[in-house]
Amino acid sequence: MNSREYQALALVFLGVSSVTTQLLTIREFLSQFHGNEITVSLSIFTWLLLTGLGSLIAKPMRRASPGLLSLLLLLAALMPLTQIASIRFLRGIAFVHGLSPGFYPVFLFIIATTAPYCLLSGFIIPLVQIVSRSTGSLLESGTVYSLDSAGDIAGGLLFSFIIVYLLTPFKAVAATSTPLIVLAVKGLTRPGRVKFLILFMIPILGFYLFSLWPKLETETLMGQYGEVLSYGESPYGRIIVTREGDQKSIWGSGVPLYSDREVVNSEEKIHYALSQLDRVESVLLVSGGLGETLEEVFKYKPASVDYVELDPFVTGLGTDHGLIRKGSSANIINTDGRRHLKETEHRYDAVIFDLPEPDSFQLNRFYTSECMALVKKSLRGKGIFAMSVDYSPNYISRLERQKLSILVSTMKTHFDNVLILPGEKAYLLARDGELHEDIPSRISIKGISSSYVSAFFYGNVTGERIQAVNQAIDSVAPINRDFSPGLMRIVFADWFARYGSSPYIFLFVVLGLVTVYLIFLRREEYLLFSTGFVIMGAEMLVVFSFQVIYGYLYVQIGAIVTAFLAGLLPGALLGKSSWGRLASHKKLFISEAILMALLVLFLVWIGVYRIDLPPAVFLAYCVVFSGVCGFQFPVVAYLIGEDKGPLAGCLAADLWGAALGTLATGTVLIPLWGMEISAIVLITLKISSIILKALK
Amino acid sequence: MEMTRIEFLRTVGLGISALIMPGQALAFPGLADPEKDIRGTVFRNDAPARPWKWSTEGAYYSTSGKLVQCGICPNRCLLKPGDRSVCRSRVNVDGRLYSLAYGNACSVHTDPVEKKPLFHFLPGSLIFSIASTGCNLRCLNCQNWEISQKKPDEVDHIELFPPDIVAEARKRKIPSIAYTYAEPVTFYEYTRDTSLIAREEGLLNVLVSNGYINEGPLRELCAVLDGANINLKSFSDRTYRTLNGGTLDPVLNTLRILAREGVWFEITTLVVPAYVDSPEMIKEMCGWIVRELGPDRPLHLLRFFPRYRLTRLPATPVETLEKLRETAMKEGVNHVYIGNVAGHPGANTYCPGCRKLLVERKGYLKGEFHINKGRCGFCGRQIPGRWVV
Ligand code: SF4
Repeated sequence: MNSREYQALALVFLGVSSVTTQLLTIREFLSQFHGNEITVSLSIFTWLLLTGLGSLIAKPMRRASPGLLSLLLLLAALMPLTQIASIRFLRGIAFVHGLSPGFYPVFLFIIATTAPYCLLSGFIIPLVQIVSRSTGSLLESGTVYSLDSAGDIAGGLLFSFIIVYLLTPFKAVAATSTPLIVLAVKGLTRPGRVKFLILFMIPILGFYLFSLWPKLETETLMGQYGEVLSYGESPYGRIIVTREGDQKSIWGSGVPLYSDREVVNSEEKIHYALSQLDRVESVLLVSGGLGETLEEVFKYKPASVDYVELDPFVTGLGTDHGLIRKGSSANIINTDGRRHLKETEHRYDAVIFDLPEPDSFQLNRFYTSECMALVKKSLRGKGIFAMSVDYSPNYISRLERQKLSILVSTMKTHFDNVLILPGEKAYLLARDGELHEDIPSRISIKGISSSYVSAFFYGNVTGERIQAVNQAIDSVAPINRDFSPGLMRIVFADWFARYGSSPYIFLFVVLGLVTVYLIFLRREEYLLFSTGFVIMGAEMLVVFSFQVIYGYLYVQIGAIVTAFLAGLLPGALLGKSSWGRLASHKKLFISEAILMALLVLFLVWIGVYRIDLPPAVFLAYCVVFSGVCGFQFPVVAYLIGEDKGPLAGCLAADLWGAALGTLATGTVLIPLWGMEISAIVLITLKISSIILKALK
Repeated sequence: MEMTRIEFLRTVGLGISALIMPGQALAFPGLADPEKDIRGTVFRNDAPARPWKWSTEGAYYSTSGKLVQCGICPNRCLLKPGDRSVCRSRVNVDGRLYSLAYGNACSVHTDPVEKKPLFHFLPGSLIFSIASTGCNLRCLNCQNWEISQKKPDEVDHIELFPPDIVAEARKRKIPSIAYTYAEPVTFYEYTRDTSLIAREEGLLNVLVSNGYINEGPLRELCAVLDGANINLKSFSDRTYRTLNGGTLDPVLNTLRILAREGVWFEITTLVVPAYVDSPEMIKEMCGWIVRELGPDRPLHLLRFFPRYRLTRLPATPVETLEKLRETAMKEGVNHVYIGNVAGHPGANTYCPGCRKLLVERKGYLKGEFHINKGRCGFCGRQIPGRWVV
């Protein structure tokens, strides 16, 4: 293997390993902290930001030895394991056990735990080019970008379609680091270096021992979970069953979903809804079928019960551990609830949602007018629809009032009557028929027994409290829609209020830093910066729209995300062809125009037509979009001139643009202004880069 | 000291991190301290320019020039002009301490008295319950954080001055008033003045509190209190600091004073998994209760559910509550109740003498009731509590 081949492989293998590590790390953060859209965006933002910084550090370097490269490759191969293990260990040290920390502590924790790896992996990419220059076979910036993209695509494909189904995080790291380890060892194995090699073998052996020792991975989870009975990494998150004495609990991504004998929630969600009906023939439960829930449903003797749960691991492990009663005649359907509502021909008497708060785009889809239209379609005659949100029984805060008002407005667009029952959560009932407040008397007429509702309702859900919450509703509150998720903004604000913090300090600091950065940025780099921003923004818009139409199914979403990577390589290869300066300028303009056109196309689709497009159209759109983005990188690098060492600056611009695009689109633009305005902002950004380019 | 497996793994993990990635290990040096203390701090320059309509001059404060120090609770906030207290509802305006929570109730409800929980106090009756904002602690699992961790101007309120509260309770024909939900110690003047009028009008006063109060103000309040439920959050000072942002001793002192002053009170302990579920701790706590307060002090052991910021813990196993109840009873506490578990027989009252069922509780519905004039209807043993108005 000659040095050029070695360097090329280094870039590809590093791409594979770093993408896998990024995805594993983000999943780890979601299992450790609150997995709302903010923390997801924050993790990606930090990752891209630090990687970009790592690249920039290499900018002043002119020479580097192949030995240094091999050594750093080895370090980059070993670090993912310690990074994930450290996140688990340090969480218990940095935060009180059982705590969900707020925005700023989470942000600091993410920076502290990912900085070493991100800086290193970002640094290595331009380092490869520097080494290639030192060894006399310069890899051009476009080539480096293409090779890195190839690694990223391979890593994305490997993770999304194989690793996520087969391997736990430690084993995934072992698998994807191995090519890098082999390469690094090969680079370090030179005559006379055998002594050193033995030194390197110790951490390598430690790495494999730690990552492949079967029990160790589960042991690292015990600090957070206690006694782990079953552990599974599903495509949707980490599902764990634990035992606390006689009690079993099931956890989804670090949050306890159910512990034995949690009757209050089971009884409230079922009886408040089903007691409204004279006859219950058919019930649809969207999530939340664990524990006593199904038993409570069957007290009404329905002919059929469909229980839809997205994650098969939840129902599988739940059944294995008796958290879903064996022999229950409920029909368990593992699919996206909204997709089921869209596709089912069945008509139900009751549709009951038991979902977490709408703090992500995926969840918000269940709280929108469009979703309620599907519920209405699936209901028989005067059937009932019920859902619940978090609520503080003793005081209705301003944010809670807004949240409930939006939901009531949204429900009222499809149902004649809406009633809120203020239990442990706020239960919202909607129906075209009559709605009753006196639940204990309704269930007693039906001869149904209950341990909580009959005994506690009159003391906890008093007429006075029911009146207070229903009267607090603002009748002119906006409607929550798929493409204009106003409810998410309220839920985000509530999350910040819980920690007495505000996102504004963070946003002002980021804006300040961006302004300073933009002042020092080359115009060509700004083009890449805006493209990085736009590609991540567009990816979020497309993924979100796709979920709205087709539901959240992992394979399909994985395909969309991969399609957004897939175009980068062919695009970059095309961009690498040498056309001369004048033609390059022209082609860059054309590429900008295509990006604008693609964004306008998207805007027209969501703003005007909004017809359901086949998945292939989405995929094609994503590949073309990323292709154009990939195309720009080598052209820009060429225009700056290889003699000026453009790679580090271009990489940083691309990554930082992407970082900002993720954060701005996911946490500010869509929740505040909706999809259309977000698309317009992305278009404006592209216009700005075209104007800047034209001015030159 | 013996190291648990998790502690061992933590140490090894930290060591490995420190060796391979020093940056990671050093990221949170201060936080590696096991004695995490989340006590609140004073809000500097956060007070309004002048008191508002719902203000009154604070009780129990001392001055030194323009500096004031509140003496209501063990936090003893030292406030410069313009500062706001730890509990957020008291401010220094121009060298005087004002409470901003006077006559502005943010929660007003009618509850069953058992909800407080009080099981030996007018069973089956209703209690008029009010709160203003503020709390001197920072419990990570607070149920009422929207009012306890807010400033008075951040919440919507109803104007209800002390005479209005008493009038409203009388209008509703409710025999007692509870100062509850947030922390009544922090709206001390409001609680005290309302209680005084209520006492004159023949209503009973109940304090539902964390018991984090100094002796002077507590003794004054005792003169008008008829009942109380004090939340003894744990029997470990370390846990108090970590989960609640307070300390244990002042709460124990409150319990002693209430007992000495003859106020009927019951104790509540939320059994938080991994923090307040050790049998040894409950044993020690109950030993103290029996020694200092006597065996007849009812103790409510409540099941924990994830709340507020403490959302990554499971619910307390019912079996744990049952075992702890047994432990407490073995230590000599006569009335130990299990709460937050619907339909559990541990919510009933049994005679400590003949073991017969005296009060059957089906939630808030009363079942069998065999207490006559404060005595067991079977063996005649005195059952402590306030059974009639
Ligand atoms: S009552 Fe409030 S102001 Fe007074 S010492 Fe306690 S926390 Fe400080």
